[in-house]
Amino acid sequence: MLSDIAFSSIRIATPLVFAALGGLYTFQAGILNIALDGFMIVAAFAAVGAAFATGSLTMGVLAGVLASMALAAVLALFNLRFRAHIFIAGIAVTFLAYGLTALLLKAIFDQDGVFASAAIPVFPALRIPGLADLPVLGPLLSGHTLLVYVAYLAVPVVAWTLYRTRWGLRVRMIGEAEDAALAAGVNVDAIKLQTMVISGFFCGLGGAYLSLGYVSLFAKQMTDERGLIALAAIFFAKGRPVATTLVALMFGVATALAVRLPQITGTAPQLLQIIPYAATILALVIVGIRANRSSTQNGWRFDT
Amino acid sequence: MTDRAAPRPHPVLPRLLRAVGPPLFALVVSFGLGGLLMAVLGKNPFTVYAVLLVGSLSGWPNLAVTLQLTTPLIFTGLAVAIAFRSGIWNIGVEGQMLMGALAAGIVGYAAPLPDWAMVPACLLAALAGGAAWAAIPALLRAYIGVNELVLCLMLNPIALLLTGYVSARVLKAPGPTNKLPDVVDAARLANFSLYSQLNTGIFIALACCALMALFNNGTVRGFEWKLIGLNARFANYGGIRVRRNVIGVMLVSGAIGGLAGAEQVLGVYGAFYDNFSPGYGFDGIAVAMLANSSPIGVLFSAFLFGALNSGSSVLQMELGISKYLVQVLQFIVVLILAARFTFSWRGWRRPLVASAPAVTLPMTLPAEQGTTEA
Repeated sequence: MLSDIAFSSIRIATPLVFAALGGLYTFQAGILNIALDGFMIVAAFAAVGAAFATGSLTMGVLAGVLASMALAAVLALFNLRFRAHIFIAGIAVTFLAYGLTALLLKAIFDQDGVFASAAIPVFPALRIPGLADLPVLGPLLSGHTLLVYVAYLAVPVVAWTLYRTRWGLRVRMIGEAEDAALAAGVNVDAIKLQTMVISGFFCGLGGAYLSLGYVSLFAKQMTDERGLIALAAIFFAKGRPVATTLVALMFGVATALAVRLPQITGTAPQLLQIIPYAATILALVIVGIRANRSSTQNGWRFDT
Repeated sequence: MTDRAAPRPHPVLPRLLRAVGPPLFALVVSFGLGGLLMAVLGKNPFTVYAVLLVGSLSGWPNLAVTLQLTTPLIFTGLAVAIAFRSGIWNIGVEGQMLMGALAAGIVGYAAPLPDWAMVPACLLAALAGGAAWAAIPALLRAYIGVNELVLCLMLNPIALLLTGYVSARVLKAPGPTNKLPDVVDAARLANFSLYSQLNTGIFIALACCALMALFNNGTVRGFEWKLIGLNARFANYGGIRVRRNVIGVMLVSGAIGGLAGAEQVLGVYGAFYDNFSPGYGFDGIAVAMLANSSPIGVLFSAFLFGALNSGSSVLQMELGISKYLVQVLQFIVVLILAARFTFSWRGWRRPLVASAPAVTLPMTLPAEQGTTEA
């Protein structure tokens, strides 16, 4: 039972981890990218569509990632080139993605809510040779699909690019002090664009995992605000890669419990589902209280 | 857009054109892209738009549905517009609407009041519910400096889950659906159409628009709120207490969002249903942006989107095109209008520093818009 929950938590948290890794880059570059959900949904749709049409998982994942990156580029174009407010542009892109995928679902597959087919290939569960024989960890860590391992193994890579490369330093510099970065000759917009597209890349993997690995179908709005939960994890962990992943995993556990626990104890699932959002607000408030308030004028901080 | 140091008073026509031009441009681009999409999918765009037009406006039955769908958009559009006019993005209207709806739903079935007092009591409860939910981001922003956009974003799902919890567990009506018990008859807003759930709530919406227009243009406080929107620092130096006023703006905005919920509960459904909203709060963003925050403009843009939504179900029946076409059109409009504020048509030169463009939001300067208290 317990290991059952742990196993499914790892699975459930995988799209969250992908989305959180994507969101990390933009967060570190000082962009509040709230369109993670939108990126994921187009990726999920494109992945199912391509996998269904070609019968190839590779093509499916590739199509998902490309679609997501294209949408990310659109958001970057509007935010960076046309100076649209990132939040409004992000909301617009997200709902545009919801609407467009639902529209295409009807137009291409003639389905109103869900498209499932036996022709969609599924990811096989991988049995990791050495790992599978370990006593407790074995059944926990072995037997997932490929993209699950990709998600967790990507975490150190992301941390490395952000903290051990010159490019990562520039990203964080832009996040900390954009004007200073500009004055130092950093091409701010180019790097912001890059972070946004990378964001699209990871969300693309997350979306493709959602529709090809986690389940094998596309459903309208199937991302179910995972992008938002990932964003919550990023805020909660202040954008540090490993911490963010752990928080995403925790939120995954909460979600896994929200499915299982009510069947056993009769707890309302909503109360568990609230945890990520409420915890994040709490964290933001605590950080806010501790932050220095020297910049207030007549009690109002102008540049928050 | 403001008049920049105009030496002589503008003639009416160019001024009107400047006000109506950008929204029209956004609509044309959006419908153009939508038509292109339809053509790619093998449908004749002109047929599609003709069906949309006929399906939403021809005959009283269709028109009644359109007006029913317009009503919540007027409320949410107004709620977003009020905040936006003061330079605040209230993207939490969805949550405020749910809280207002829940409050109206509870008072509507449980309050032991005389019949004549039921509707006012429910409306007051909705106002209070919406305002209370808006008070959370407003106070946290004002006193602790937490980014109100992030707060609103997180508070929307919390509101949905909380109201879901209440309607599924705490106050659940007997039966399979997650809803509160039906409100008493005296608390219902009278329905005056056989063909839709169009109800007297639309008059409340119209009254709100009129009141807001009067408030904006005829009161000192309305002027102060506009000033804060144009330049919060200047307003501050001019002696306007920004913090207090911004909290006020958010409370009013949330209260009107709450009314949107009351109209749905008292007029359309007759009880609070879990997850009843198809996203009216977010549609409000589109409505307010298309209206450029003018209360009268909200009427027109809410009617436009209401008509599109109403026509889209006819579209789905007759041509087999998903009604989500309307959502796509709507948010293309938002995307284009969001770009409008800082996009300079004369010359494509980029500003040297990524600092605040003259007209946008003083509360969240672009340089800071990404950061919270990291």
